[in-house]
This record gives sequence, structure tokens and C-alpha cells, in this order.
Amino acid sequence: MNPYILTILLFAMGLGTTITFASSHWLLAWMGLEINTLAILPLMCQSHHPRAVEATIKYFLTQATAAAMLLFASITNAWITGQWNLEFMSYSLPTTLVTVALALKIGLAPLHAWMPEVLQGLDLTTGLILSTWQKLAPFCLLLQINPSNTSLLLILGLASTLVGGWGGLNQNQLRKILAYSSIAHLGWMILVLQFFPSLTLLTLLMYFVMTFSLFITFKVNNSTTINSLSMSWSKAPIISSMVPFILLSLGGLPPLSGFMPKWLILQELTKQSLAPLATLAALSALLSLYFYLRISYAMTLTMSPNILSNALPWRLPSNQHTLPLAITTSLTICLLPLTPAIITLLTL
Amino acid sequence: MMYMMYFLLFGLVLGLAAVASNPSPYFAALGLVVVAGIGCGVLIWHGGSFLSLILFLIYLGGMLVVFAYSAALAAEPYPEGWGSWPVLGLMLGYLLGVVSVGMLFSSSMYDESWMVCDEFGEFYFVRGDMEGVATLYSSGGFMLAMGVWVLLVTLFVVLELTRGMSRGTLRAV
Repeated sequence: MNPYILTILLFAMGLGTTITFASSHWLLAWMGLEINTLAILPLMCQSHHPRAVEATIKYFLTQATAAAMLLFASITNAWITGQWNLEFMSYSLPTTLVTVALALKIGLAPLHAWMPEVLQGLDLTTGLILSTWQKLAPFCLLLQINPSNTSLLLILGLASTLVGGWGGLNQNQLRKILAYSSIAHLGWMILVLQFFPSLTLLTLLMYFVMTFSLFITFKVNNSTTINSLSMSWSKAPIISSMVPFILLSLGGLPPLSGFMPKWLILQELTKQSLAPLATLAALSALLSLYFYLRISYAMTLTMSPNILSNALPWRLPSNQHTLPLAITTSLTICLLPLTPAIITLLTL
Repeated sequence: MMYMMYFLLFGLVLGLAAVASNPSPYFAALGLVVVAGIGCGVLIWHGGSFLSLILFLIYLGGMLVVFAYSAALAAEPYPEGWGSWPVLGLMLGYLLGVVSVGMLFSSSMYDESWMVCDEFGEFYFVRGDMEGVATLYSSGGFMLAMGVWVLLVTLFVVLELTRGMSRGTLRAV
């Protein structure tokens, strides 16, 4: 793409998120979300082949629907209460509609169906931007509104963790697995939103770090299926040896950093007398863990049958920028002892 | 007056159901024309005459005309309208859905009135909508600049999306 256009589009994406972050008026928040949607569309159909265009159209339609629902809910709220402020929504109908609209925006179950198909049509870098940056603005809004109904957010969260687990089980396309992983993690974030919002922020940022390392690992290996990961042990042995840790961190196993958000969320849910819910959520994490283990099994823990010469490729110096991968992998593995400091830093 | 508002809103719902139920863009855009016209009428009743004029000129006279031309270029030889049973069935289904949801939310059919109340009353020097536009250009200058920048970004986005014609995203008509 023309570098000037790319600059303008990336700037517009930053602008959209910044506008939503800085807004306390619903119209301004909606404006920021729309700018974000608009600016990512050309990035998504850069390669101009039909699958990417299909993903772009699906993304545009769902995000436009969500933004229209958001606008409708905020105007209804302005009609009833006479004010446009984000934090002072006190009637249940607009608040519920806003929550459902933002759930559609980020891809929570049962409004998740667009996510695997859209991610499958994109290349890994754009998919990364979609999974991480585009979630910031809606979460900023979700953190600020007063939830109207306790059970709505809990149902969205639990359904997302279960759907994210079961949906990813039969996939061998990595981007779809990443989509279901995203849905599951978003479910965990929403579960604790009304009890301890700092944990939502913590889970979001931890998820960003973990999924960044996974996306970039797949990009470095230039692989989009599990099968194509099976020869990465001979081409990039260090990356292959670190990937099981990244995947187990995504699965939420101690002593890796992915355990931190799950542990704190389970603790908070138990304190709120929601122990059966906490048990269900923890069991749903097992489903996700299965497909993370399957990826690490194919990539690192087994060597697929192959001719001998494929096991000894020339390991030439690579031109890929692996510094971000190194940083995020280290953070994904080693951040658990810093839990008290992180909780203190992220106190909302 | 109430009857006029009732009539306009009834036409609005009919037009919206037409937009939603027609698979062919010709009839859907026709429904949109009707909806935009009626929306302008409702706006005038609520005191926003300037906004209604702008809506009519720019939305109907600008964007919908361009849409009609582009839809005419990508011509459908046998467009399906209300003449075919599936479309009519969809239309009636949507109308039924709207009526049932309306009955769910309203208390009764005779308690509520569609009386139009204009917020500003007779003693204001300017109308609300014109004052709003003037505010956008004076103290809302930063938001105006933001809006201008976003329109420019929209132009770039559209040009980038349609770059390459049939080798790119657009269908080879």
C-alpha cells in the first residue's frame, strides 16, 4: 500500500481509539468507534483477493450494526434522561442495549459468529490489529457504564468462555483457533467486569501480550495451519521451544503469567459468592487448554515423519523483526511474580 | 395535527419495512426515498426546518441520486418487488413484528398522543437546529476540524477500497 495512505490509516486508527478514550459524551464515543472501523477496512482488504474482501465486508456489516445499536441506545438514553453522559446511564433499556451493542463489537458469545470468519480471511498482522487494538475502545466504554443487569454480563461471559473452548476444538486453521481463543479470553474479561474492573483491564492487557507473541510466532513461521507448524523446529528451534510456554500461558497454567488473570478472577468471583460460576469458568478453560496443547504437540513436542534432509535446513540470518516477539514472549512467561505490583498499577 | 403525525409515522414504518424486505436495490432505494422524505416531514413538525431542508437536499438529492445511478449501472434484469410472494410475505412479517413489539411497549392505544411539542417555544430568537449549526462553526471549531479530517480519511478509505476496479475489490460488471 502507498506509505502515505498507510500512515494516514494508522493515524486514523489511533485517533479513533483516542477519541473514544477521551470522551464522556456518547456521540463522541460513537464517533471514535466509527473512525476505528473505517480506518481498518482498507488494511483488511489490502491483498484484494476475494477471501479478504469477504472478511472486510463481514467485519464492516457487524461493526456498523453494533455502532447503530450504540447510537440508538444513547439517543434513547438522551431522550429519557436528557443527558448524554457515559457514566450516568441509569435506565435499564439503554444500558442493556449498549452492553449488547458493545458485545457485538468485540465478539462475545452469542454475538461471536463473525469473529472466526473475519479473522480467517485476514493476514496475521491485520488479524493481530483486529484482535488487540480494536478491542481497546469498546472495553473503555464497557468499563465506564453502570451495568443494568447483573446476570447479562455473567451470561455473556460464561457463554463466551464455553463457546471459545468448544468452538476451537475442531479447528486446524490457526487463525480460527486464535479467534476462538480471543472469544474465550473476552469472556473471562466480561465475567469480572461488574465486580472488579481493574481485573478486566489486567486480563485485557495480559491477553494483548500473550496473543501478540502467538500471532508474531505464527507470522515468523509464515504458517496458518497446524500442519505447517510441524517443521518449525528445524527452522527456528528457539521459537519452537518457547511456544509451548506461550500456549500454556494462554491456557492459564501456573507459574506462567496467563495464570494471573484467571487466578484473580476466580478469587473475585468466589468472594462475590459465585463459586459455581467460578467452577464452570475454570472447567471451560480446560476446553481451550486442549487446543493450545494440540498446537504445542504438533509444533514442539513431536517430530512429524519427514525425510532426513528437511531436518537440516540452512539457518540463514533472518530479516524478520523478532525483538517484539522476544519481549512479549518473556513477558508471557515470567510476569506472574509481579502480580501485586501490576494490580496496584492498574487500579481504576 | 395528531392525525398528520400519525399518518407520517405510519408511512415511515411502511417505508422501512419496504427497505428491509426488498432484495432488489431499486425498490429498497425507493423505500429509502419515501423514508427520507417522511423523516424530513417529521423533523419539520418538531421544529427542525433547516435540518430537514439540508437532509432533503443532501441525502435525497445527493446521495440517493448517486446510489440510484450506481444501482442502475449494476442492473438486475428481473428485479423482484412486492409482486412476488416471498417478498410480500417478508414485508408482512416485518410489519407484524413491528406491531407486536409496539403493542408490547405501549400501555394502550388511546392514552398516548402524538402531539408535537416544540422545545423552544415562541419567544426564542433562533431555531434550535440553526443555532446548533452556528455553534458547530463557532465554539465547536475543533470538532468541525475533526469532522473535516475524518471526511478526508473516508475519501482515502473509499479510494483505497475501490482501487484497481475489477482487479481489486469491485465486481466486474
